[in-house]
Amino acid sequence: MSSETTSSGPGMAVLNFCRPALQPIVAVLIATIVGGLLVLALGENPIEVYWLLISGSVIGVPNLLVTLQMMTPLIFTGLAVAISFRAGLWNIGAEGQMLVGALFAGVVGYAFPMPWFLHLPLAILAGFVGGGLWSAIPALLRVYLGVNELVVCLMLNPIALLLTGFFATHVFKAPGPTNKLPDIAPSAALHTFSVYSQVNAGIFIALACCIIFAIINVRTVRGFEWKIMGLSPRFAYYGGINVPRRAIWVMILSGGVAGLAGAEQVLGQYGAFYDNFSPGYGFDGIAVAMLANFNPIGVIVAAFLFGALNGGSGVLQMMTGLSKYLVQVLQFITVLVLAAQFSWDWLILRLFPEPPPKSPTPDAVEPVNATPTEA
Amino acid sequence: MDLEILNSAVRISTPLVFAAMGGLLTYQAGMLNIALDGFMIVAAFTAVATAYFTGSLELALLAAILASMLLAALMAMFNIKFRAHIFIAGTAVTFLAYGLTALLLKGVLGQDGVFTSDRIPTFPVIHLPGIENIPVIGEIFSGHTILVYVAYIFVPIVAWTLYQTKWGLQLRVVGEAPEAAAAAGINVDWVKFQAMLLSGLFCGFAGAYLSLAYVSLFANKMTNERGLIALAAIFFARGNPYLTALVAILFGTATALSVRLPQVTGLAPQLLQLIPYVVTVLALVLVGWRTTRARSRHSAWRFDIG
Repeated sequence: MSSETTSSGPGMAVLNFCRPALQPIVAVLIATIVGGLLVLALGENPIEVYWLLISGSVIGVPNLLVTLQMMTPLIFTGLAVAISFRAGLWNIGAEGQMLVGALFAGVVGYAFPMPWFLHLPLAILAGFVGGGLWSAIPALLRVYLGVNELVVCLMLNPIALLLTGFFATHVFKAPGPTNKLPDIAPSAALHTFSVYSQVNAGIFIALACCIIFAIINVRTVRGFEWKIMGLSPRFAYYGGINVPRRAIWVMILSGGVAGLAGAEQVLGQYGAFYDNFSPGYGFDGIAVAMLANFNPIGVIVAAFLFGALNGGSGVLQMMTGLSKYLVQVLQFITVLVLAAQFSWDWLILRLFPEPPPKSPTPDAVEPVNATPTEA
Repeated sequence: MDLEILNSAVRISTPLVFAAMGGLLTYQAGMLNIALDGFMIVAAFTAVATAYFTGSLELALLAAILASMLLAALMAMFNIKFRAHIFIAGTAVTFLAYGLTALLLKGVLGQDGVFTSDRIPTFPVIHLPGIENIPVIGEIFSGHTILVYVAYIFVPIVAWTLYQTKWGLQLRVVGEAPEAAAAAGINVDWVKFQAMLLSGLFCGFAGAYLSLAYVSLFANKMTNERGLIALAAIFFARGNPYLTALVAILFGTATALSVRLPQVTGLAPQLLQLIPYVVTVLALVLVGWRTTRARSRHSAWRFDIG
């Protein structure tokens, strides 16, 4: 949070304006430098490699479309993680919630044929419900039994993978050698725009979700209550917010959005539920949310960045002796740097020398003014 | 047939026991280390790469342990010095390790996905002189590599260290009441750092065992969530070393069965692989239910959950 109340001057105002972007940019820069050294050690030219990554992802319409395809699930999972992290709940189970959502959407997509204007919304809703139900487990355990939601989420990820795998191989298995559900009916398919990539109407749902949550966060009482919970659940509780109840719903919403990622993958990208289809979008969502600093609009930017890296990594793998996993390395170095509670104020002061602000803890002070009237 | 399953259960459980001992020390020090998989995969890769280039098992084991401890030091630095949330740091380190090993696999060894070679030496099998000839026990416990025995010997050593030494006491105090520990003059951060380093040490053994003794290859993500199962065992046993090892062995046996049993019964292998995770969640639910009932009804929301 900014310390705008403690210092004045035009320079500081500019700084406070840039502040939300500074932290992610520095983190990405550090990751780029470390990754570049790594590339150098492996005997490739880092500048060439980064140029390949950029040109392979955003230059040219086909490449850009692949990037958009790659970023769609990341928007959903990134938003899901951002919603819960912002409210102080550590939902790292987005991967499992996405898988369950995908299974639900896949089953509704093939098993209940009906007109498209009913079928498609129902299949998408099924994805949301699937993800929401899966995240309700850690939420309810957290609130009613005081079980650490992190550990439960952690365990529920492999459980979801194995269970959906079980359904895909033993219960609803489509005939044939592949472990998948039968193809979804055309009436449930999300429209695909281009032959170059699998980017589909799901991306608009993703963007809409981000905008909706941006509005909720900034304009509604709920959004404000979530923020206070994230800053200090104890304070929120004594401020009259029904923290347990809010916590359950935040988790369910977060899981539901993660489930939408699964629905998009099944209804748009693959056209059926495949066993083990995810390369870890749920975990990439943590990276996206961290880079976005839990801001829904920031999620779009962060998802674009990581989607572009993923899109460019295919080109990288073809053109050089490097593996596409370079992108994963860059991504999680960024997360690690962002997770560190570096003294960002110190960094700012080093970059732009100013008289040091003399507020010890701006974080704790800020929300006090606003609470009683709204709750 | 049955004995063969038990014999393979001992082998399958070995990396779980190593990793569980590593995770146990951090658990007792009040840190929930979810990067066990990351430590192991780095160790597994380093072991294979070193063994391939030098042909020496000792060097490979040493390098694996060093690499794993290096990653542990990185994790400790970010968690303890820079105050990164341990779960975020752990997740980042794990996926960083997955990515890095895959990148180096392609960059150093020139392979995508899997690497194996005739030049990689493997740990020789040891036949225990006296025990080998005892009918049942011999078949289960003899004929393993040295690392298997090392793993099981580590269990009492860890237990003894935790409960009989001054350092173990300090570690447990740091885990249970960091403020009290600091007040008593213990360097809390330093003890935590040591615990994390030792966690890396044990995971180094686990990784080297996986890639040089259990099989003789490296594959991307070859730890296959073993760190998570080890963590599940720790949670289930609530940090007791012997119990943790026992639960790890039971989970390992379930895994061994999930390989063999489907051929016999036609049961889906996924359902057996589920056991460790489901059992752990159920155990957490049970513990939570007990403590909630014991607690006052009015405290509707606990703010600080370890």
